[in-house]
Amino acid sequence: MAELRQIAFYGKGGIGKSTTSQNTLAAMAHYFGKKILIVGCDPKADSTRLILHEKAQCTIMQLASEAGTVEDLELEDVCKPGAAEFDPDNTDITEGFIMCAESGGPEPGVGCAGRGVITAINFLEEEGAYDQDLDFVSYDVLGDVVCGGFAMPIREGKAQEIYIVMSGEMMAMYAANNISKGILKYANTGGVRLAGLICNARMTDREYDLAKHLAEQIGTQLIHFVPRSNHVQRAELRRMTVVEFADKTDQAFEYKELARKIIDNDLKVIPKPLEMDDLEALLMEFGLEEEVEADAIGKKASA
Amino acid sequence: MFICGYHFPASLGNKISHEQVVERVTSEAGDLSDVSYAILISENRDGVKQEDLKVEKGSFLFTALADYYKKSDIEGEYKMIYYTNKYQMSEVSKAVDGAATAAVCKKLDDMLLYRVKVA
Repeated sequence: MAELRQIAFYGKGGIGKSTTSQNTLAAMAHYFGKKILIVGCDPKADSTRLILHEKAQCTIMQLASEAGTVEDLELEDVCKPGAAEFDPDNTDITEGFIMCAESGGPEPGVGCAGRGVITAINFLEEEGAYDQDLDFVSYDVLGDVVCGGFAMPIREGKAQEIYIVMSGEMMAMYAANNISKGILKYANTGGVRLAGLICNARMTDREYDLAKHLAEQIGTQLIHFVPRSNHVQRAELRRMTVVEFADKTDQAFEYKELARKIIDNDLKVIPKPLEMDDLEALLMEFGLEEEVEADAIGKKASA
Repeated sequence: MFICGYHFPASLGNKISHEQVVERVTSEAGDLSDVSYAILISENRDGVKQEDLKVEKGSFLFTALADYYKKSDIEGEYKMIYYTNKYQMSEVSKAVDGAATAAVCKKLDDMLLYRVKVA
């Protein structure tokens, strides 16, 4: 059996991280027969819905709250097999499968979201979820700001290779650079490495060039440029990945290609995050920001 | 690192030279003497065809497209080109093919979907 690879998808909230990760993991199972466990680490708990065909999976924090403590839970309560072709018992289409767990988080405005991540991963490990016949464990982690809790999968050496989902928009690039700083912090102690940027395209001008240059400067690669497609939204309305919904479409093939690259990827680096000035210079170089004179800062546009 | 679909080992770093890409793609493409033309068609997001583009035979772009077409498992007479690949092919072609493919490369840099047919 091949060694278990623990990967993570980080990215700014709303960037399409869960959509990208689920479609890519679905492609890894569907086309390449990979056996996968998804650990959703986003308090929105939307990291597994397309694999399960559900609105949202009951989270470990939710179930622990109902049961009393996390010790009162069984693995089967929190770790569910994917629907249809992603169920381990269904080998009609693929030998691959996807198991799903969601950490969950506190009520909005109360407590630390990162605590759910820590509790969930520890519980899954102790209950033997990682001992199954798996090729990949994938963490889906919110990463606008890499607080200690959200950094847990990289801090504790759980996730070894990180893929950052970003786009050519300024805040997505800022978040990607920020996540690189988080990886750098733990790279020497935990062995975590940056494995690439995935551009979930907004189809803005020169987006590929911008994403590629950011990747190069951070020391990594732009592993794949995923175009925008209505097929993704159509599939999501059915709570499905586009890979399962329409596996012969152009968009499904884009995810297949990304899946192939992740499976074969060996470029895992300690990132070299940019200083804020360098990031702004990059955005200006590619026309996302116009250079302004110092005395124009804070001035309204003239009528 | 992946360029034009090919894996370049991590030991080569994250900046692969155009020469290395040309060498690899040309070698992988093999004998293309039976290929007489490569045609690109562009489509907008609604799948409406925009225009046909002919690619100069003998250029790197021609070789890369012919290789892509022959190895692709995508069905159909015209095969969709991954966005990543079209941008990478364009970048290398602009550097090594110069004026021969400049106009086509400028088109490839846009946001449209491209399909290719070689024969």
